[in-house]
Amino acid sequence: MKLAEPFTTAWSRAGSTLLRRLFLDRQAAFWLSELDPVRSLTGVRAEVVGVIDETADTKTFLLRPNARWRPHRAGQHTVLEVEIDGVRERRCYSIASAPGQAPMAITVKRVPGGRVSSWLHERARPGLVVGLDRPAGDFVLPTPHPGTLLLLSGGSGITPVMSMLRDLAARDAVDDVVFVHHARSRAGVIFGDELAALAARHRGLRLVIRLDDSVDGPPGFDEARLADTVPDFANRSTYLCGPPAMMERVDAMWTAAGASHRLASERFQPAPRLTALAGDGHPVPVALTRSGRELVVDGDGSLLDQLERAGERPPSGCRMGICHTCTCRKTAGTVQNLITGEVSSAPDEEIQLCISAPRSELQLEL
Amino acid sequence: MTITRPLTREQADAFGRELDALRRSVADDLGERDVAHIRRIVRAAHRSEAAGRVLLHVGIGPLSFALGTSALALSKILENMEIGHNVMHGQYDWTGDPELASKRYEWDIVCTGDDWRHSHNFEHHTFTNVLGKDRDIGYMLLRVTPEQPWKPFHLPQPIAAAALALFFQWGVGLHDLRLDELASGKQSPRQLARRARPFLRKAAWQLFKDYGFFPALALANAPRVALGNLLANGARNLWTFAVIFCGHFPEGVTVYDPRETESESRGQWYLRQLNGSANIEGGRWFHIMTGHLSHQIEHHLFPDIPAARYPEMAPKVREICARYGQSYCTGSFARQLGSVARRIARLSLPGPARATRRHPIADPLGERRQEAISSASTCAPGVGRPPRTGAAPSEEPRGLPRRGNRAARHGT
Repeated sequence: MKLAEPFTTAWSRAGSTLLRRLFLDRQAAFWLSELDPVRSLTGVRAEVVGVIDETADTKTFLLRPNARWRPHRAGQHTVLEVEIDGVRERRCYSIASAPGQAPMAITVKRVPGGRVSSWLHERARPGLVVGLDRPAGDFVLPTPHPGTLLLLSGGSGITPVMSMLRDLAARDAVDDVVFVHHARSRAGVIFGDELAALAARHRGLRLVIRLDDSVDGPPGFDEARLADTVPDFANRSTYLCGPPAMMERVDAMWTAAGASHRLASERFQPAPRLTALAGDGHPVPVALTRSGRELVVDGDGSLLDQLERAGERPPSGCRMGICHTCTCRKTAGTVQNLITGEVSSAPDEEIQLCISAPRSELQLEL
Repeated sequence: MTITRPLTREQADAFGRELDALRRSVADDLGERDVAHIRRIVRAAHRSEAAGRVLLHVGIGPLSFALGTSALALSKILENMEIGHNVMHGQYDWTGDPELASKRYEWDIVCTGDDWRHSHNFEHHTFTNVLGKDRDIGYMLLRVTPEQPWKPFHLPQPIAAAALALFFQWGVGLHDLRLDELASGKQSPRQLARRARPFLRKAAWQLFKDYGFFPALALANAPRVALGNLLANGARNLWTFAVIFCGHFPEGVTVYDPRETESESRGQWYLRQLNGSANIEGGRWFHIMTGHLSHQIEHHLFPDIPAARYPEMAPKVREICARYGQSYCTGSFARQLGSVARRIARLSLPGPARATRRHPIADPLGERRQEAISSASTCAPGVGRPPRTGAAPSEEPRGLPRRGNRAARHGT
């Protein structure tokens, strides 16, 4: 009942305060996870129920989420959290399965030197419990879906558009879809067999696979070849996901054709907006995400000193890296630890302001 | 008797670099085994608490009462020492596990996490054993070292100490309220009122939980549960008091004058942490029950390294200390506690501040030697009370930070 909403909210807030003050929330979370590690009162978790080898360097992980999962829309992503050698790591992955399809699937390409993808490939087995975030993202098909579609992908960018295609297929709504995918070789086409089967079953689906190692034209994305293959590309609602270089070229091609309003893109890596490594003494822009302030620090000494000179008053204590009072989250940017000399660009990293110095533009949760 | 060598600033810095290297090697090695350890302790604490409460709530008779109270006391001790104190130090922040996040952790005593993080992590660990700056010295109530000037209220301090021991969680909870500053005028009653609010809220909830909520759940067994909670709290208080008082007050530990630490380098900070702390000998389970505060020296050198690593770091620390001629104060629980008790009794009476311990600041090359104090020291045999390091007055003052910034929580 709408009228009761403020009361029910206040009631549940009071209830959770009571539980917290009596430490019963901690107890409940502990005993629940002892009984079943997938269940949780607060977080979304999922159990790996299957692992499929798609290609030599790509695996699909089938997940069964707990009750706190909210169904996704085709094209959305989630954040996967795993614990690797004691440390929790989080990575964003597109959900490859269609909404309503169980189990849920994420498809992970092994990145050379990638900490999380390598670990998943080596260690993820049925029974592993992972953390998830609620699905998010604007890269979705609108309802009702557009009459003519172009799903354009390259490499592991196939995952979100595959979710869209699977969704349309499940609803028997494949009216006029052109699916263009770029891959290095036939063996590297993720979901190759399934795509062929879908093309055979759905007359409205036109499948075009471009391989680098084929002889008909230049390797990789080529504007002229795409225009040849899909002459009405400017009139189709296009959904694009692929390597950054390819996406830039597609963006330019659509803009030149005056069709950029029909192009939706999903970026896997944020576009690099940080300046190169700055040395000591160079002024550095810092964005404070909580207060919304943006300032420039002078680059001299510790980040704590620099912020204070710029007029900020972050919490601080020993000023020597011992008490952790000044610890804050760096959401983006590169810092150097003044004690150990270590340089770190990891996103969402907790840093101690008093022993860190900025080495690039920074974003801090202050 | 060997005399601890006073170190020059350069020597102190070399000492500090070796300790930094040791810290780095352990910090790089942290991983699954460390997280697994703390989670095992958390599991043990939860199970022990559940067992204790069930025995108290539904049991009848003295045996289940004794077992229940003991199990509850064990869980409180583990939660306070190995879990709470260590997690709040940031020892497990590197895991990214929100349940082990230092800034969010609340422990099951009347002291609030924020107050503790401020008075302990920042103040005590920065100003360790600096008279006038480290408010942990005697907890502003007891005279535990001869350098503290004698006041008439010290006369009944053996009784005050016993009371503090029984109600230790209240002493800890009130500590950051700075009641002594109210007396001296540094803090106004209005400021105190604001400062006290989070503590009063938490204390009220703790009292409700232990003497209202849980007893009420037990219906007919309510008085038994209330008494069991009281005794478990008391046992935890006594244990934590004893362990903590052995950390900085036994004979052989150095207390510093603020002027000596004015231009302290990082290496000299390490030396003060070493010379201002004392260890307790014991077995593996003893160390866990003390939250590894039995390794007070290692804890003060490396407060944000997971405490379960201290026993393996200790031999290396001792070896470095030996090479730099520094004494390493350690002894059995009985000996350290006895030393503290004797001091509290002796220092309740006025007596001269030991002149031999003081020497003027102008000793830039650290050439003046410090005479070893009497054999009443409980430190490692053959080693006297270590002197302080000489601070070169011509050095650029780096100094200890004047005060931390609690970001307008109290607006003082």
